[in-house]
Amino acid sequence: MTSDRGQATVATATLHGTEAVGVEVQVDVTNGLPLFAIVGLADAAVMEARERVRAAIRSTGYRFPNARIVVNLAPGPLRKHGTGFDLPIAIGILRATGQLDGVPEPRARAVGELALDGTVRSVPGILAHALAARTNAVPLLGPADSLDAASALPGLAYLPVRSLTDLPRARASSPVQRERLVSAGTGSPDLADIRGLGLARRALEIAAAGSHNLLLIGPPGAGKTMLARRLGSIMPPLDDEERLNAAVIHSVAGLDERHVLAGVRPFRAPHHSATIAGLVGGGVPLRPGEISLAHAGVLFLDELPEFGPACLQALRQPLEDGRVVLVRAEGRVRFPARFTLIAAANPCPCGYRGDPDRGCRCGESTVARYHARVGGPLMDRFDLVVHVDRMDPGHLLHYEAGESSATVRGRVCAARERAARAGLATPAVLTGQALLDACRLNSGALEAITFLGRAHHLSARGVTRLLKVARTVAHLAGEDRVTENHLHEAAMYRGEGFR
Amino acid sequence: MSGSPTNGWVLKQGEAGYPSVLEDLPDPPPALYGFGDHALLGDGLAVIGARQATPYGLSCARRFARWTANRGIPVVSGAAIGCDLEAHRGALDADGPTVAVLGCGADVDYPLRAATVLASIRRCGVVVSEAPWGGPPTRWTFPRRNRLIAALSRAVLVVEASLPSGTFSTADHALDLGREVLAVPGSIFSPESRGPNRLIRQGATPITDVSDLAHELGEAWSAGPRTLPGTEDRLLACLTADPLRPDDAARVLGTDIVSLIRAIAALEARGWVTRYPDGRYGISVAYARLQSQHLDAEHT
Repeated sequence: MTSDRGQATVATATLHGTEAVGVEVQVDVTNGLPLFAIVGLADAAVMEARERVRAAIRSTGYRFPNARIVVNLAPGPLRKHGTGFDLPIAIGILRATGQLDGVPEPRARAVGELALDGTVRSVPGILAHALAARTNAVPLLGPADSLDAASALPGLAYLPVRSLTDLPRARASSPVQRERLVSAGTGSPDLADIRGLGLARRALEIAAAGSHNLLLIGPPGAGKTMLARRLGSIMPPLDDEERLNAAVIHSVAGLDERHVLAGVRPFRAPHHSATIAGLVGGGVPLRPGEISLAHAGVLFLDELPEFGPACLQALRQPLEDGRVVLVRAEGRVRFPARFTLIAAANPCPCGYRGDPDRGCRCGESTVARYHARVGGPLMDRFDLVVHVDRMDPGHLLHYEAGESSATVRGRVCAARERAARAGLATPAVLTGQALLDACRLNSGALEAITFLGRAHHLSARGVTRLLKVARTVAHLAGEDRVTENHLHEAAMYRGEGFR
Repeated sequence: MSGSPTNGWVLKQGEAGYPSVLEDLPDPPPALYGFGDHALLGDGLAVIGARQATPYGLSCARRFARWTANRGIPVVSGAAIGCDLEAHRGALDADGPTVAVLGCGADVDYPLRAATVLASIRRCGVVVSEAPWGGPPTRWTFPRRNRLIAALSRAVLVVEASLPSGTFSTADHALDLGREVLAVPGSIFSPESRGPNRLIRQGATPITDVSDLAHELGEAWSAGPRTLPGTEDRLLACLTADPLRPDDAARVLGTDIVSLIRAIAALEARGWVTRYPDGRYGISVAYARLQSQHLDAEHT
């Protein structure tokens, strides 16, 4: 029985935001009263590992030592979360008791949850673990289920294990064995379903081409939600960097990242009862919120004024910076959050303000309060504000089916390429002199700005928005210069509150 | 008298091409000498002002001229130092038409400082004079020139003028000929603004903004300026009859939605069209008033 005493260390990691921070699992098996203790700021899920590890080791035919077992998770001050420690702890115990001799690869990081029968289950954030392992140039030992995700990272040696019994045979899967992910299409419905609504369709196209935030205002049933759900279908597919960043966030949040890895832009539509933590991120351990899950994609807030005012105001900084920094006692965590915001709102609480056929019974002060819930600073972040009005049912059938998403996406991609060729950032994030330089205005266009500014009482910020949108409109038209025509069109989408 | 320069033309009274508006004058010139497209004569807005202009006058002249020319309306002026030259420059800036009426021969560069501007106008605008080729500038030719400026324009915009002055005399000629007189108001302490301020008191239309000018030009040039292409005209007619949603309007007019959006936006910026609460677009109160004035004018 002397072989049942010994020490071993296994490398693993714990999630801190979207980052997998390296952790060492040290296992010490000694004589004494039988005990199984885990120390090192472990949370409840980690403490429960004891029961899973004990059962898994026994049910897979290994010996569980009848001895004093102490597991230390180093570094000590770092909080450790989650069930991913099951696998490294089990490996540590098996190694300390000499049941795994040199296998698997001693340098490999191990991550995985154990079922009682010894099966290795996937854990959230496997992509983050994979990234960290690749950065540190070590192999990653993990659940076989996560092979798909890990295959997205070329240059990583991933050792898939189905069960504890696989451990002696675990080896890096060769690229040939990796299943190629089938492109899942854009995954969002097609724009061709929408008849009429030309103004709103056009605004959607501009939003996609320039990553502008878009607010749709209109009565219930006008088609706001239909439009919003189709924004993703006219955006270009994700590029490699966006794809990886977005997939890591999905992975960390424990969501299926396969669609994102296949290039489908994320589309998140949280209900208006969402909390701040749910929207911008939070909780223990810190999890990315909806805005980060929408990174590189679309965040759709239906019934915008119904969201909690605090939630809405919390969106302002991420909208500006393209990321959110959460500060908690245990430290700062940064989640990327560069998304296109599309929101829908009714013109008043009852929804029928301005509708000639249905009377609106909302008083002026009620309507004003409703609008005030969104607030000026957030309204300012919408480059495009469009009214989507209820179509006359009689007219509806006169319209032919609209253009398909593929056609519109073609124009959007061409506009984005034109902007990229000119070396311009996305128009939505341009400001000041850079924006003016990008527009290359001639004297006629300058006059038009003055004229439009006066005619519509635009503030300095209003003029900036006008220029940004006009810049995108010109790119869509295939022109490098912003002209009077583009400015005029841009003025159609100006926000004057809800009006 | 020197020989006729290349590209120059001579139009005798009674000949085809001789601007009929000159017949409004009690003493129409027997012949016009000039360069450029003489079809532009008689259809412009005169933008005139003092030689000793203030920066205020110069910038007004340039601004209004550029805006006018950009709409395809010829800017008529006298190529004198100061406001006149600024008006021509403004029109050239906008790549728009401009007409210079000289007090000397149309081929003479006078004043010398205007030589480059005159050269540009001879190339892409019109330079015209009643003086024969090579005619020298003299004291008495300039007041006579002023009556030509008034006659060759549909309206006269006075930017700055002291009292008495040549500019003010042009405005007098315009009134005699029944031309619309517009004036840019200025400070009551500024001698250069005394002319336009006096004109306003006498009933000239004050121009305080391009939108004022747009309004006036809209009345004097009801045919529509250059940036009002067919779509906008037809759209305006459509919306006058019945307010429409953009999609319905596009369907009725048979145009694509993007051109229609731009047309609506241009009309909205001009203040002629407005969005109704139910999402339809229709004519604005201002445009309705404008229309009723037109109708009243036709009835009387």
